[in-house]
Amino acid sequence: MGPLLPNGVIPHEWDSLIAILIGLAFGFILESSGFSSSRKLAGVFYGYDFAVLKVFFTASLVALIGLYYMDFLGYIDITQLYIHPTYLWGAIIGGVIMGVGFVSGGFCPGTSLCAVAIGKIDAIAYVAGAMIGVFIFSEFFTLFQPLYEGSFLGNITLVDSFDLNPYWFIFIFTIIAIIIFVISDFIRKRTKKQVYN
Amino acid sequence: MVNRKIAKISTHRYKILAAVFILLAGGLVLLPRYEKHEGIDPQELLSNIISPERYISTDFLADKLINQDPSYLLIDVRDEDSFNKNTLPNAINIPMSKLLDEDSNMYLDQDAYNIVLFSNDNFYADQAWALCTRLDYKNLHVLKGGVNEWFNTIINPKKPTENMPAEAFELYSFRKAASMYYGVAYPEQFKTKVVVKKAPPKKRVITVKKKKKAPAEGGC
Repeated sequence: MGPLLPNGVIPHEWDSLIAILIGLAFGFILESSGFSSSRKLAGVFYGYDFAVLKVFFTASLVALIGLYYMDFLGYIDITQLYIHPTYLWGAIIGGVIMGVGFVSGGFCPGTSLCAVAIGKIDAIAYVAGAMIGVFIFSEFFTLFQPLYEGSFLGNITLVDSFDLNPYWFIFIFTIIAIIIFVISDFIRKRTKKQVYN
Repeated sequence: MVNRKIAKISTHRYKILAAVFILLAGGLVLLPRYEKHEGIDPQELLSNIISPERYISTDFLADKLINQDPSYLLIDVRDEDSFNKNTLPNAINIPMSKLLDEDSNMYLDQDAYNIVLFSNDNFYADQAWALCTRLDYKNLHVLKGGVNEWFNTIINPKKPTENMPAEAFELYSFRKAASMYYGVAYPEQFKTKVVVKKAPPKKRVITVKKKKKAPAEGGC
């Protein structure tokens, strides 16, 4: 049956509306779980709050396990899902830049917009900086193009590139996630507690 | 009392959630594997296969082709050699082995044309039809009897005997016309009508006496 949009269960005209609804829901959940606070977000790097790690890891696990169960039950065809293409070096360098920005700015792009929505001044500065970055990137695109479009590996997943059994991969990934949660909790208890809002 | 119990459970909430996760993930590993079913339901496919709706007759096709109906696309599913030897006019060759290739997909999986599959008989065309129908391709037809039937009916129609009904004669005349359209020559076409030249009748000369003009008489 699914995915609903590619199979025409929901007509394509609804694309934008659904995107807006999902975006609203995402923003609402980010804000309501406290992700519009840069101190909470940066806590991952300083070891006093691992909410970001836990939330996103759990979300990906729930989605992963849920999708594979739905695939088994025939509600969704996992081969029809969109897989973001991999540009290896672009992703690595972009990830490093994003990480540095995350630590120093205390937001990731999505949460920064959330924080702008509740009127945080640091978030407004952050978004302005991001816009300047976008402008510089666009202006010098020809310079970055080889990196941006190079080392293209196609629409691959870990399962494809390492030829794993997806079910065992999910199982091992779940166990790794839980181990990481335990370790992160352990680290959090060892570090000095921070009070912030 | 109840609250205390809930509080006791909730101190273990992370452990419980972790256990649920591991159970669910482990369940995925233990799920039985089965070959994913591609295309339409088996029941639907079966009822489609039983139904003779897919067949179109050579007469129908000839009519469409001669009237230059642009919505009909002929696809020859025989191998390339047979295709090169003889085929129907304007047919495209997609051998059975290449039927599910991406290039063939372009022709078969579409909504714009009525596709007519044919082979020597309808045997291979039926197989091709079943494969494509299973993948839920639309507007597929099979030429009943294939190229052989085309040859027997359209190119080389049998003359009906005298004790046959009038429809047979009508059909024959249609088929004959169709075959002439495709360049079959009939002996009667070349029968020059023996025109017995009759000697033109001799013209009788009828002399017409010219009226003499009456001389002007009188006057004023």
